[in-house]
Amino acid sequence: MADSAAPAHTAKTVYHSVANTHPVKVAASGVEVFYADKQALHGINLDIQDRSVTAFIGPSGCGKSTFLRCINRMNDTIDTARVAGSIRIDDEEINDRAVDPVLLRARVGMVFQKPNPFPKSIYDNVAYGPRIHGLASGKDELDAIVETSLKKAGLWDEVADRLDQPGNSLSGGQQQRLVIARAIAVNPEVILMDEPCSALDPIATARIEELIDELRENYCLIIVTHSMAQAARVSQMTAFFHLGHLVEYGPTEEIFTNPRDRRTQDYITGRFG
Amino acid sequence: MGAIALAIAFLGVLLGTIVLQASGAFTNYVLTLPVTLEREIADPRGDMSEASLRRGSYNQLIQRSLQSEFPAASSRADLRELFGLYSGLNAASVMHRVIADPSLVGSTIDVTMPANHEIDLYLKGVTVEESITAGSGTIQAGAISGDITLSSDSPAFANAIARIRQQASSERDALLGRAARLEADAAGAASRDAREAGLAAARRAREEAARFDTVIDPETRITLGPRTASLLIRLNGGVVAVSALTPDGREAEGRVLLPLESAEASASWSEWVIETPAAARRITDQQAVYARALEERGMVERRFNTNLFLNADSREPELAGVMGAFIGSVLTMLVTMLLAVPIGVGTAIYLEEFAPKNRLTGFIEVNINNLAAVPSIVFGLLGLAVFINTFGMPRSAPLVGGFVLALMTLPTVIISSRAALRAVPPSIREAALGIGASRTQAVFQHVLPLAMPGILTGSIIGLAQALGETAPLLMIGMVAFVADAPSLGLSGLTQPSTVMPVQVFLWSGASERAFEMRTAAAILVLLTLMIIFNAAAIILRRRFERRW
Amino acid sequence: MQLSLITALALLVLTAVGFLAGRSRALALAEKDGSRLHSLPGYHGYYVALWAGLPGFAVLAAYALAGTMIVNTIVLDRMERAAEPLQARYELALANDDIWSEAEREIARLDDEMAALRGEAEQVIAAEGVQSDAVEALRARQDELQFAQDDARFTRDARANTIAGDIIQAVPEAGDHALARAGFEFARLPVQEREVFLADARALAFGDGLASRDTPELRATAGALQPVHSAIAWGACLGALGLALAGLAFARTHLAVRFRARNRVEWVISATLALASLIAILTTLGIVFSLLFESLRFFAAIDWRVADFLFGTQWSPQTAIRPGQIGQSGSFGAVPLFAGTALITLIAMMVAAPVGLFAAIYLSEYADSRVRAWAKPALEILAGVPTVVYGFFALLTVGPLLRDFALFLGYEDAVTQSALSAGLVMGVMIIPFVSSLSDDVINAVPQSLRDGAYAMGATKSETIRHVVFPAALPGIVGALLLAVSRAVGETMIVVMAAGQAANLTANPLESVTTITVQIVTLLTGDQEFNSPKTLSAFALGLVLFVLTLILNIIALRVVQSYREKYD
Repeated sequence: MADSAAPAHTAKTVYHSVANTHPVKVAASGVEVFYADKQALHGINLDIQDRSVTAFIGPSGCGKSTFLRCINRMNDTIDTARVAGSIRIDDEEINDRAVDPVLLRARVGMVFQKPNPFPKSIYDNVAYGPRIHGLASGKDELDAIVETSLKKAGLWDEVADRLDQPGNSLSGGQQQRLVIARAIAVNPEVILMDEPCSALDPIATARIEELIDELRENYCLIIVTHSMAQAARVSQMTAFFHLGHLVEYGPTEEIFTNPRDRRTQDYITGRFG
Repeated sequence: MGAIALAIAFLGVLLGTIVLQASGAFTNYVLTLPVTLEREIADPRGDMSEASLRRGSYNQLIQRSLQSEFPAASSRADLRELFGLYSGLNAASVMHRVIADPSLVGSTIDVTMPANHEIDLYLKGVTVEESITAGSGTIQAGAISGDITLSSDSPAFANAIARIRQQASSERDALLGRAARLEADAAGAASRDAREAGLAAARRAREEAARFDTVIDPETRITLGPRTASLLIRLNGGVVAVSALTPDGREAEGRVLLPLESAEASASWSEWVIETPAAARRITDQQAVYARALEERGMVERRFNTNLFLNADSREPELAGVMGAFIGSVLTMLVTMLLAVPIGVGTAIYLEEFAPKNRLTGFIEVNINNLAAVPSIVFGLLGLAVFINTFGMPRSAPLVGGFVLALMTLPTVIISSRAALRAVPPSIREAALGIGASRTQAVFQHVLPLAMPGILTGSIIGLAQALGETAPLLMIGMVAFVADAPSLGLSGLTQPSTVMPVQVFLWSGASERAFEMRTAAAILVLLTLMIIFNAAAIILRRRFERRW
Repeated sequence: MQLSLITALALLVLTAVGFLAGRSRALALAEKDGSRLHSLPGYHGYYVALWAGLPGFAVLAAYALAGTMIVNTIVLDRMERAAEPLQARYELALANDDIWSEAEREIARLDDEMAALRGEAEQVIAAEGVQSDAVEALRARQDELQFAQDDARFTRDARANTIAGDIIQAVPEAGDHALARAGFEFARLPVQEREVFLADARALAFGDGLASRDTPELRATAGALQPVHSAIAWGACLGALGLALAGLAFARTHLAVRFRARNRVEWVISATLALASLIAILTTLGIVFSLLFESLRFFAAIDWRVADFLFGTQWSPQTAIRPGQIGQSGSFGAVPLFAGTALITLIAMMVAAPVGLFAAIYLSEYADSRVRAWAKPALEILAGVPTVVYGFFALLTVGPLLRDFALFLGYEDAVTQSALSAGLVMGVMIIPFVSSLSDDVINAVPQSLRDGAYAMGATKSETIRHVVFPAALPGIVGALLLAVSRAVGETMIVVMAAGQAANLTANPLESVTTITVQIVTLLTGDQEFNSPKTLSAFALGLVLFVLTLILNIIALRVVQSYREKYD
């Protein structure tokens, strides 16, 4: 269905004009990804603004998650994956050999589709990152980091009295907020979220969306989502991916009200996807 | 259903027969003698030094004590039978006691030692059938010792004669029947050789049968010999072994095995028949009499067999125990564990978490799968050729045994560890990597702890396999007879030793009947160990099993 | 030993010091620089500790492995040089001695004669076969010559001993001369006694173990060993400590705020893990090469009559054969062993295959969870019973039972150790193996296949017979092949219950022997190494290894492709 509706050969991306309210945080140019011999991404050029939420939308297998994983070099962990092109964060090339992906991932936090707290206590979940990065020089400092992170993630009030309980004992939505707190704890600049609400019920989803909106004030957030409504609710910018191409990129409102590419239009109106 | 029942029935029969066979080995008869440690024998140099005490002839002291119990035993033959009640090796334990406490010299101590294994089996009623019945009528002994005649006014021995005749005639009939069958077979035999062989066998059977004729004939004197049951008469506190009876049952000739207290006529006597013929048993009438006499005097009693658990191997079944093999097993397993578990888990971590998927790692995988199915004996050949012949390591040593078993166990540990690592969901790795943990940190701080129960379960099962393994250890000389348990420490690693399953193998090949039940007992010890190992694995699995 | 132990402890201390030094330096650097370290201070500590510990321990390990050998080599070399004048005198004396020279010539002459005889024998054998009278005569003649040569050797060696004794007598016992005497004596010792000599000398020098003798020569050797030993030991230990200190200092200079200590330490960890995984390959290589090498020696010892080994029907390795003996063939024909192995395996599989398979089908298709909860552990216990226990069971219970039963049926030649009892018990042993493998295979058949059959109205047993079983068949074949390989390689049951007699028979009531039994028989008890008898065990091992390897590879292939089909 998808293939018949869209001319697959068009490689040109439609860019909407953007009011430069925030500086560019992540700048991608010519990013290509191959899994073994299969090309998963074709020449992606994309500038992402700081202190805002950017949503990646598109049908399954369009490459939005793949691109997301390029931003913190998670693709390095897959043996067969090969990444080409340039991604700069604050003008620093992250695909440079001199960059330690491990340190990069501390700067670019990630939240996954299914909540994946470590099977340890709530406290240890949040404290793990600061510990391995040497962010706290003492127990008090660590406690403070844990507390602020949990507060920022809006979880503190619910767990303050049971920090020593296992992270898995929380509800799904709480777990996902715990994971967000865990990501915040290492003081990242960018937070990547890969369909963070797809495993949650509507109420928990609403809570997370609220949280995302709050976090926008301090972080550059990039969120992959299947739900167009969610993209419309939380994001300021939207990028539409299709078959490994970036089709259209612009302010969320414009993308949803005035898509310029046929494929975007078809996707948004529900013709495929 | 039937198949399962069959398999479980096999298991039941297997365990049942072994428990049954082993049951006799857990107790044994011990002999307690008051031994006077005469100074000049215990301390030949007279200076009470350890060197002097070591040269003491403690066996002689034990012999003296035993002799004083049976003053009538004086001929060489008598004494040989008397001293056959125990093993001279027991003198060593007396020596150790004296060396530990030299002040004992000159005093009389109680020495407790296991009875000879044949005596033990006899007293347990395993090897010899016997019966005691009260005699009727009054009999009179001609003397109180030596070769004597027992006479009676009434046919006092008629019962015994009837019984002997009955036994003899049934044996004669069996022999004649066999001869007839052999002859029939020979008549239809294919070749001349076979026919002649068959006829010869039949002739031999007939000759043997003819020997019973004299016993069965009611007119002739009955002589008892090694092929017939033994008839002993208990009278006046003594025992007479009957060698001949008159057909009228009024007179018997015999030799006194235990002196009578008096030669008075007595009506309270009994017939003690040892039905198993002397030729078919390993103890003599005389020894049976000694053993029973000591039992009556309270010097022989049945006790829990501590030797079986505390001693190392011995040529004498009553002194043999599994301790040496147990220590050998512990040392060998330690080496196996210290090598196989770290190397196996390391390999599993590397292949599962670090290794790039390329030809080399693919080859390693195929390799490990094949190694898992290589017969264990081949690992023994490897150990012999490489460790012993090339590297010149000592034979029969737990160190080398541990090496060989470690190599053998390695594939099991690797395969189960990999399965455990694979069972940890990738989301855990992603979570750790996502907040900036390195791969090593993710593996060692998150994945490995979660996989640990599975890894431990697999390792324990692998070690249990190694614990029960025999064949490769035969190749590297761990079948040696080792009478001293290796020391439980670093130096023990290179001392000659054996392990539990090999001990089972060694004992199962021994000719003494007493070893048979000890083999079964050793198997029970081994199975207990295996069950402990496996139960530990199952508990670990149940307790820490995690469903993702 | 003491010294190296102290050094090892010192190295441990240095390693710990390295860790602390590294960590505190990293902390100080971070303080001074005011920025964050790349790696946690602990990793800087580990980095320095590794540099401090690894080289030092490597040196110490090398010394532990090769130290004794180096010391021995140096001292023996020194002894040899000291003994040179004595050796020269000895050789001159031998050359001038008539008796010795005469014996030497006689030996050479007899060698030639025997070589000629062997040539002749080959022709005769080619013409008349091995069993002819002519060959018999030649063989007798060869024995005669051999005896004569043995005599000559004895004369020669006795004479040489006398001369050597005279020479030694002329040398004083003290000082340097003692070492010369020791070297001379050592050179004249046969190879196996040299080891004893060295062990005695070491015992005298270092007190490790008891010396079996105490002679001036041994004392001299011990005296020479001591200084060399301590020099090398001190060298190794001081070297190790020096390297540790140097490594520590060197690594400490690396440390910087941006220094990637963690990456370096992690590289060492993953390299160690990679090395561990090479052990599996080394094991395989070790097996292949040791078996091949010893087998080649065996084949060389039987004059490369590989076909006789593989296809000969006469197995009697106990017959000692002299090198080059005429017409001694057929005693290493392994066919009876192969046949015995095949017979027992067949019997075992006749028990294990149906019972194991039906158990698996029952467990995976019919049994409810309560039965499974009982039956599975029971099968696991059956699988965990050591084979020596099965062997005991076969020997003492099954064997006599079968014999009595056969006697009862009128079979007069029944024996306790028979192929049948070993095969039956081995079959029982393999049941759990077959059933658990088949269970896996049957469980791997997708539920959709079964649902499809049920949807068409098939009954349970029809579904199993027509759908599940055919679908699982390749996997089951693989499982059975693995079981066969297991049966072929099983040792203890057959050693205890099948007997030793190399009968070539298909009668399961007779005792037969197998490859594994013969390996055990040949390699236990008194054995002289290098005799073809002992080496033949390795050739059998090679056959066994190749056979099981082929079975395993086929089986693993079959099972794997089967798994992939349904994954």
